[in-house]
Amino acid sequence: MSNETLIPVLFTAFVALLGLLAALRPEFTAARGGKIFAFVALCILPVLSVWAGFNAQIERSTSTQFCLSCHVMADFGKSLHVDDKSYLPAAHFQNNFVPREHACFTCHTDYTMFGDYKAKWRGVHHVLVQYFGTIPKPADIKLYIPYNNRECLHCHEGARSYEEASPHHKNPDMLAQAAANKLSCMSSGCHDIVHDVADLGDAPVWKPEAGKQ
Amino acid sequence: MTGRIIEQRIRWSGSLIVAGLVVQLLTSLWTHPLAFVCFLLVGCPLVAAGILFFLYSLVSHEAH
Repeated sequence: MSNETLIPVLFTAFVALLGLLAALRPEFTAARGGKIFAFVALCILPVLSVWAGFNAQIERSTSTQFCLSCHVMADFGKSLHVDDKSYLPAAHFQNNFVPREHACFTCHTDYTMFGDYKAKWRGVHHVLVQYFGTIPKPADIKLYIPYNNRECLHCHEGARSYEEASPHHKNPDMLAQAAANKLSCMSSGCHDIVHDVADLGDAPVWKPEAGKQ
Repeated sequence: MTGRIIEQRIRWSGSLIVAGLVVQLLTSLWTHPLAFVCFLLVGCPLVAAGILFFLYSLVSHEAH
């Protein structure tokens, strides 16, 4: 368990113990010191504990493990490990262009809790569908809105490898169009092999060394 | 008499808070969207209810 998780867990356990003490021995609150204790144990510390827990949950929900914990996302996880550098997510994941522990969130920053209210609702809807609805096939899962080049450019923009790459100068205004999100980086003939879970089949899979994810 | 009432209310509010914090503890050990939803829809409301009931018990006690 990481420190980011351990500290809120220990704090919550401590606050729960104080709350338990207040619940079991409420007669303490007759004295002035007991009143202060009850106010701290039953009001201030629980608020802080929930806030710390919420932050820990939000941080955890950006992890690759969190995204792939739903069975329907397994093939998307596999596309990160496919041994074919033409797969865009695989090339990014395997070459550490994105942090492996937060691979999904690095390229999909507008998802669920981190997007607008519609995105938050979609996140809740996904959980409901997972347990009470008909789960779609992985190949049928599509983005709600076209992928925004912003997610690519927040790393690639300004990089020499991006700005001087000859394919990026097939048209004189190609980079400007990409920057304005008028030409998708994933257009046909460009970086158009993304997760492609329908074609993964028995594709060979790259296995990192043990202990390196 | 009012002393016993407030003690009973503190006992209830403490129990609600502890229940909410236990849910928070359990969900923090599980990396899954359902854990997040449980934390938000079960743990947080229990703690909030406990805190509000405690504050209500203070206010109503003052009124007596």
